[in-house]
Amino acid sequence: MKENLLKFLKIDRRWIFLALAVVLFIPIIKPIGLPNKTISRDVQNAFDALDKVPAGSFVLFSLDYDPSTRPELHPQAEAALRYAFKKNLRVGIVTYIAGSTGLIQQLIEKVPGETGKVNGTDYVVYPYMANAVAVMTQMASDFYGIYDKDIDGRDARSLPVMKGVRNYKDIPLILSITGTNILDFWVAYVGDKYNVPVIGGVTAISQPGYGPYLQTRQLKGLIGGMKGAAEFESLVKEPGKGTSGIDALNLAHIMVLLLILTSNIILLVVRYL
Amino acid sequence: MAKTKTLAVLIAFFLAAGAASAAPAGKTASVPAIAGFTADDMPYDAGNALLLRWPDGQYGADTVYRVFLSTAAAGGWVHADEFKAADREAKAIPLPFWAWEPLPGELAVKLEIGALVGELKSGSDVKVKAAAYRNDKLIAESLAVTAQIRGNWFRLDRLNNLILLTVIVIAFFWAVSHAKRKGLFIRRIAGLDAIDEAIGRSTEMGKPIFYVPGIGQMSTISTIASTFILGEVAKKVAAYDSQIKVPHYDPVVMTVAKEVVKQSYLEAGRPDSYREDLNFFVSHDQFSYAASVDGMISREKPAAIFFMGYFMAESLLLAEVGSTTGAIQIAGTDVEHQLPFFFTACDYTLIGEELYAAGAYLSKEPMLVSALKVQDLGKLVVMVSVAVGGVLVAVGAKMNWDNLVQVVLTLFKAY
Amino acid sequence: MKFIKNYLPLAMVMVVGLLMLASYYIPHKHSVDYVELMNKWENIVFAFAFLLGLLSLFVSHYGKIRRRHDGWGYSIFVFVGFFIMVIPALMSGGKQMIDGQVTGLGWSFRYVYNALSATMFAVLAFYIVSTAYRSFRIKSGQALVLFIAAFILILGKVPLGQMAWESVLGWTGYGIDRVIEWIMSVPAVAGKRGIMIGIAIGAIVTALKIIFGIERQYMGKD
Repeated sequence: MKENLLKFLKIDRRWIFLALAVVLFIPIIKPIGLPNKTISRDVQNAFDALDKVPAGSFVLFSLDYDPSTRPELHPQAEAALRYAFKKNLRVGIVTYIAGSTGLIQQLIEKVPGETGKVNGTDYVVYPYMANAVAVMTQMASDFYGIYDKDIDGRDARSLPVMKGVRNYKDIPLILSITGTNILDFWVAYVGDKYNVPVIGGVTAISQPGYGPYLQTRQLKGLIGGMKGAAEFESLVKEPGKGTSGIDALNLAHIMVLLLILTSNIILLVVRYL
Repeated sequence: MAKTKTLAVLIAFFLAAGAASAAPAGKTASVPAIAGFTADDMPYDAGNALLLRWPDGQYGADTVYRVFLSTAAAGGWVHADEFKAADREAKAIPLPFWAWEPLPGELAVKLEIGALVGELKSGSDVKVKAAAYRNDKLIAESLAVTAQIRGNWFRLDRLNNLILLTVIVIAFFWAVSHAKRKGLFIRRIAGLDAIDEAIGRSTEMGKPIFYVPGIGQMSTISTIASTFILGEVAKKVAAYDSQIKVPHYDPVVMTVAKEVVKQSYLEAGRPDSYREDLNFFVSHDQFSYAASVDGMISREKPAAIFFMGYFMAESLLLAEVGSTTGAIQIAGTDVEHQLPFFFTACDYTLIGEELYAAGAYLSKEPMLVSALKVQDLGKLVVMVSVAVGGVLVAVGAKMNWDNLVQVVLTLFKAY
Repeated sequence: MKFIKNYLPLAMVMVVGLLMLASYYIPHKHSVDYVELMNKWENIVFAFAFLLGLLSLFVSHYGKIRRRHDGWGYSIFVFVGFFIMVIPALMSGGKQMIDGQVTGLGWSFRYVYNALSATMFAVLAFYIVSTAYRSFRIKSGQALVLFIAAFILILGKVPLGQMAWESVLGWTGYGIDRVIEWIMSVPAVAGKRGIMIGIAIGAIVTALKIIFGIERQYMGKD
């Protein structure tokens, strides 16, 4: 009996992989529709920060995620961009990760068209830049010192979407969606230094790391992982990819809980019985 | 008598004319002047802003102020700002008490000239004036005042920061210049002691050692620390005549690491064993890098793997594969949210500062070891500040000593 | 030679480092311009280093193919992969979409790079679950505390867990959200702050060691 239990404790990890694959796969193919009722405080704060930006203002989206973190972060970016357009905000999109240019392209193929927003008038996409910190510092004095042309090679200064925008003082909100530490840079080098409100969207795995910034309000709000995306989608009332992934996420969490419980119960049994 | 009367009439005439000419376009009616309106260069800035001040409470709470400016280049008056009195109280200017003294009931406006009329040269004259409105009706207006914008040479508001830096620098030099060869205690760091064991094992097994420096750039402190450790590890590898492989994510880090490894082989007296391809570039894409290194680890089954430097989500991807091959794994990073992954998958893990201290610990160079003392001193300063500051703020808040609370909070704020 | 190899780089590090440090306290335009100039230089140097990296990649894999080193077949894929991405990128001028048509680059990005990258990150989930199973064992008092905190956090992420909490512990008046919020913003942040402060001080001292040339292993010592 004990031997069998111990064997189970040292089970080949590939069985666990298989179980997880099944647990994730089924709800993605056929959603079960588990309820998702809570909205976490940080997502609510992020939504409020975006919501209170006056119509017509220019907000900066720093979308720095590549295909690896796309399932978690793309729904966040989509929901946020959609809401920004709904609120008639002007949006500038920048990136410091080469891999995200393609995702940004996919984003702007889809979202602006839904509300009839025009490239150059309502939004603008800037080319990839290496060395995020250097660029962020430079933008503080003159936005066009670094971004003189948009991704299509048009003169940035003369675009209607950039009217009245010169540096951070003209940007009432920055949203940084990233699977890297670029959000930390926005907080430390821009948010703190130039008093620009920064909100973030990150993967579930790095979400706990932002506690200190949220507590001191250096970060005004945070969307964390696919659950955060689902919550944000429900706040902006546009259910999307985040909402549809929530079933799989729930089941996987339950599976982890069960696995940890099982392993510990086995350990107790082996030790004390 | 008649003479003084004439003078008074003349002055009144000129004042009225001045006020009329200063009025915004279309408004020439004579209105009372806003008393005490001054304009000066905004202190502690790069030279593109003015600071306007005047006493509030002259025209009631529902007053709306508009500020206008004029430059030689722009000509005419430009509408620069509009606000309610309550929104521009002088005490709201974000400067600490040693750099800014707001008078009670005073208004202060920081006017960014560059954003309104374009960049001006330092020393340029800017004419400004303020006008008070009630229900969109002009009720008072200041005289036009001319001020110069200037670039300043010192951020007095960052004095607290500078003092702290000075203390640290002095302590640093003191510690380094009093470096002693012996007698300085460093706590044992198990992960670093295990380096010999790991290299010895790889020599016995005739298998390579992988040294993974992570995905940081050369400006990342943990990457710098990682190159120090790489130097020491490479030296031992060369001495034992074992084999090391260093896959890179960042080409700049690779260039540096090449130099470091080469030097280590030289110092160990084995320059002949050194090859240029010990350090090689893999990919500047996080997961391509992880996939590639994982592939190498599972194919070559190294005896020991070091993960030292800056890691993000690839930490577990790398460490888990390494642990399935049965290699001794020693990790070290200052990315605290990746530490749990290393803890579970590696044999030894260096936490944050231990990684920074590793260079000193391994090389035992007196100057480097002494610099650790500065780190301890810094921590002591922080601990005392947090404790004393916390108590002072708590007591101050309880007893309603607002000034004390403000002073303490300001002292520890970054500007 | 010693001057060029040792003293000149050290002097450059010191001067540039001190000026950068000073620029934090000097708001003047000259100081702002200096920081901008340095940032531009950094970008330029990085671009050239990147070429160097690419060269190193090619040389090392070419060597493997030439010597028929173990697993040299993988090295061929380095070149295949590189040209599959680079040639279409050159042909489409780096654009993924031209006049509503997906270009070769766009296609490679969407259907090759996207899939490969997402797969790698997704593998992480599998590793986390199996690691959790293997290593999350209550072997001590501390491990028990860790276990309870983790259990509550995971439970709170799941609607079913939230419902279970409410039906069992709802009477206490403490919702699971509030408990999680407390865990995340008090003990978790306290620990993280401690590490962060230590790291910040370590970073300052490391910076000083480099600026003043006490630590110079990174340039190959002597």
